[in-house]
Order: sequence, then structure tokens, then C-alpha cells
Amino acid sequence: MEPLQALITQIQGLSSSASDISRLHSILKQADSSLRSDPDRLSPLLSNLDPSLHSLGFLFILEASLVFPVSKQQAEISVPIITRFISACSAEQIRLAPDKFISVCKTLKDQVTLLEAPIRGVAPMLTALRKLQVSTERLTPLHSEFLLLCLLAKCYKTGLSILEDDIFEVDQPRDLFLYCYYGGMICIGQKHFPKALDLLHNVVTAPMSTLNAIAVEAYKKYILVSLIRHGQFSTSLPKYSSSVAQRNLKNFCQPYIELANSYGTGKIAELEEYVQANTNKFESDNNLGLVKQVVSSMYKRNIQRLTQTYLTLSLQDIANTVQLNSPKGAEMHVLQMIQDGEIYATINQKDGMVRFLEDPEQYKTCEMIEHIDSSIQRVMALSRKLATMDEQISCDHLYLSKAGRERQRYDFDDFDVPTRFNI
Amino acid sequence: MDLTTVTVALASKSYDKLADICDNLMLQVAAEGISYQEEWPYSIHLLSHFYVNDITSARFLWKSIPSSIKESQPEVTAVWKIGQQLWLRDYAGVHEAIRGFDWSQDLQGLVAAFSELYTRKMFQLLLSAYSTISIQDTALFLGMNEEDATNYVLQQGWTVDHASQMLTVKKQPIVTEQKLDPSKLQRLTEYVFHLEH
Repeated sequence: MEPLQALITQIQGLSSSASDISRLHSILKQADSSLRSDPDRLSPLLSNLDPSLHSLGFLFILEASLVFPVSKQQAEISVPIITRFISACSAEQIRLAPDKFISVCKTLKDQVTLLEAPIRGVAPMLTALRKLQVSTERLTPLHSEFLLLCLLAKCYKTGLSILEDDIFEVDQPRDLFLYCYYGGMICIGQKHFPKALDLLHNVVTAPMSTLNAIAVEAYKKYILVSLIRHGQFSTSLPKYSSSVAQRNLKNFCQPYIELANSYGTGKIAELEEYVQANTNKFESDNNLGLVKQVVSSMYKRNIQRLTQTYLTLSLQDIANTVQLNSPKGAEMHVLQMIQDGEIYATINQKDGMVRFLEDPEQYKTCEMIEHIDSSIQRVMALSRKLATMDEQISCDHLYLSKAGRERQRYDFDDFDVPTRFNI
Repeated sequence: MDLTTVTVALASKSYDKLADICDNLMLQVAAEGISYQEEWPYSIHLLSHFYVNDITSARFLWKSIPSSIKESQPEVTAVWKIGQQLWLRDYAGVHEAIRGFDWSQDLQGLVAAFSELYTRKMFQLLLSAYSTISIQDTALFLGMNEEDATNYVLQQGWTVDHASQMLTVKKQPIVTEQKLDPSKLQRLTEYVFHLEH
């Protein structure tokens, strides 16, 4: 019998019990390089296999048959095959060969991008991600691929669905960088600025030994989102961030740092002038839209500042102070901010006055108690996780041998004890 | 292309679920490689996002619509006109855009439901943001003529001063559920006890 045909028979025969599948896995690994030598002959073989029963074998042959680059016509043929495989395959089997599975999914992304139809990959990629993922706390390389497809297909809302999971386990730093960066962009698009800020913050403060382009781009957006969200930006990163980031990030984002400085003065005309002069830079970074949101957020910031000083103020005065054209413009700004819950105030049209109020929240509703309780629960869960991790590290061989050596070098008590015993 | 789930949701007036239904169905048909764009109910899909106040999703959907469809289907463009006004927060413009098109049979129910929801939301906004407001502005916000608008708010206990053409807003006391589940309180007490000892 021909070797390929024999392999197919083996796949068909060895796909039921766990021990059979592990035998099949080693057979497939051996056959892998010979499969690759002749990819053209592989695709017809797939019709002999059932993707849901023979998932592992199907995966090896499919992966070997996909070569890149392909023409659009070829992609039109292979995209449906990959899509059907992803939806039918058994999660237990594909998890035995995660690298192959990831490679197939990345090919899917490349091909739908080639076909200029990224939306075709969104649902399959999400299915693939869920099948590959052992727990929702674990980041897979498919997370960033999925988010990228969502961005390209403009399905931002769909992208949000995986950002709700808290991630605690990461294999490759690059996966985390891209996941947080694309995730940040999804949240910016949906105007979920607090979450966007969290994700981008994770990128710029993540451990890194050398600076990378993802961190630089994330830092630019981080500056802009901080201004929109908090109205200020501090150039000093937290102590736990890498020294590379602390020393170098600023130097790559000079126009943005200057923008933040200009924002700090609270003068809208100066800010607009600065943006005008640097439009090209922001545009080439694809950040111009976000920069414009920064500019318009300044009106809000200035109005918010007034609420700290005044109890009542006329619309005319507000317009003058924050440099809006007319009292009507001021009224509309105040109204929008009330609608968004950004300030508490009532407008009196008759007298043309605004009365600023205190936050009516009294922290005694059921909802609020529920909220406090769930926050405490989450923090407790997090603290438990940290404690376990701390324990794990303190039992780790590598860590102990390193920490032990250093203690010997610095801690005099360690030397003292045995000498005393000798006497 | 099977749009049954959409038509069922429309028929049962489950407008708040429509956005998710449309989103998922679109991803599904796209994944199957069906070229759905020519037949896709973009108007319904856009409106479903408005209905749940998700203007950003509506905006991204609009951006993904091929220009040939934008040109050939005036109703889709008319729906997006509402979206534009929502995005710009031109409160009166929203009502104008709703009135400014002769909606097809399929859409009338959904447009009317959105219009009613939007009017109610505007009334709540006026209630929370104003102590006095002119009759003219109230009419613009509520999308009614001045007489209808005055009658509408008078029913809610507002008062009118004809001399100045001003309405005085009557705040409604906000009723919130204050009854506490004792076990919740017990738990919070335990936390505090734990922290202090």
C-alpha cells in the first residue's frame, strides 16, 4: 500500500480511545516531514477523514497541505475547509497538537485578510480560541488574532466579549503585548476608556528586556486615553515597570508628551494650535481621531473644574471661562455631561444659570451593596491567587538557588552561626 | 440566507434582543462564506443598535456597508441619518430624521418603537437636567409641536408660565429599592470584623 494511503488508514483506525490517539500522535509526528514534501497531494485525502472523529489526523494533514502565499482562488477553496474543521473538530484531540492548530488558525486569518473579508474569520476564530483554551484565565496566541480580525472587520462589540475574562496565565510575552494592545483599541472604539486604559497600562508596564514597537504604540494611545479619561498624564511609570520602558518610552513619543503638557495648561486655543501644527505626525500614527477626542474632552475638563469652585454660575460665564462661543453652546455641553453622569447639575433656562450639585449617591441602595460585595469578592480571589503564586515561587528551584547564593554573599548572620558552633 | 430569527424577534417586538441576534447571525453567515451583503437587513440592524443605545456599534456597522448598497438603498441611508444625529447629539435632529422618511412596512414598527423610547429618554433627560426650560426647547427635545409638548409635561406635574413661555420642571422622587438582604449585610459585617482584628 502507498504510504499516504496507509497513513489515512491508520488515522481512521486509531482515532477512538485515548491510548490509540497517543499512538497515532507519534506516528503523525514521524510522518510530518514527509507530508510536507508533497503538499499538493494532501487536500484530496481530507475527504476520506471526518473532522470531528479524526480531528488529530485531519489537523496534521490540513496543516501540511496549507502553503503560503496562495492566490485568491486557492484561498476561496481552503477557507471553507478550515472553517468547517474548526467548528467540527474535537477539542481534546486538537489540544494534543496546539502548535499545528494555531498554525492552521493563523493561516485562516491570513487568507481571509487576503480575500479582504476579515469578517469571515471572526466567528471561526472565536470558536477555535474557546476550543484551544483549557481555562478562560489562560491566554492563547489566538486571542490577539481574534481581536485583530474584529478590528479589521469592525466587529468591535464582538471583540469585547473575550476582554471580560481576566487573564492570569501567559506563555509568550508577545501574545500578551498584542492582546492588550488590540484589546485597548477595541475598547477605545467602543469608548470604554477605563478598560482601555487598563489594557494599555498592562502593555507599557509589562516586563521587557528590550523596547518593542507594540509598547511604543501602546504608550502613545495610553497618553491620549489618560488625557480623555483623567484629564492629566504623568510621565513617570510605576516602579514595577521595566527600566527599559521607564528610560526610553518617552523618547519615542515626544509629540504626545508635548500634547499632554499643552493639555495641562488648560488653554484650548494653545492645544488646538499644537494639534494643528502636528496633524501629520498624529495622522501617520493613525491617532488623529483619538487626538481630536482629547481636544474636545478639554471643554468637559474645564467645566468639571468649575464645579469644584462654584455652586451656581451663569451659562454666559461658563461659555467665557471655557472658551465656548455662546451660552447655548455651554448649555449643550453641560447637558451632555449630565446625560453621561460626568457632572451633577441643573440648568435654569429662565435665569440662564447652572446650579452644581453633589453626587446624589448615598451608598445605601441594594445595588451599591451588591457592587461593594462583588468588588471585595474579586479582590479576595485575586489575593488568594497572589498568595499561591508567591508560594510556588518560593518553592521554585531556580529561584531558591539564586536567592540562596545572594543571601550568602550579603548576610553576615549566615556566616556567624557556624563559627559560633565550632567554638 | 435564513433570517427567521430576525423576523421572529421583530414580530414578537423583542427589539432589545435584536442587536445581538443580528450581530451573531451576520458573523455566522459570513463564516459560511455566503455573500450576504446584498440581502442583509442593514436598516433593521442599524436601528437595533440605536434601540439599545449602542451608537458606536451602529457607526462601525455603517462603515462596513459597501458603498454600492449605501447608494442603491435609500432607506439604509435614511436610517443612518438618525444615527448621525444621535452621534452628534443633535436631539431635535433625531426626531426630524425619523419624520423625514417614509419608512417601509417592515421597518415602521421598529422605527415607531425607537421613536417612543427616544422621546421617553429625552423626557427623563430634561427631568434630570433642568429646573426651568422654555416651551420651545421642550418641544424640540420631545419632537412634538409646542402645544403637544406642553400638554405632555403638564400631565407629569410640570407647571407653565405663559408670560415668559417657561416650564418649571417637577422633579419626581427617585424610588430605589432599599430593602437589604440580611445575609449581604452579615457578609459585609464579617469583612469589616476581619479587617479590624
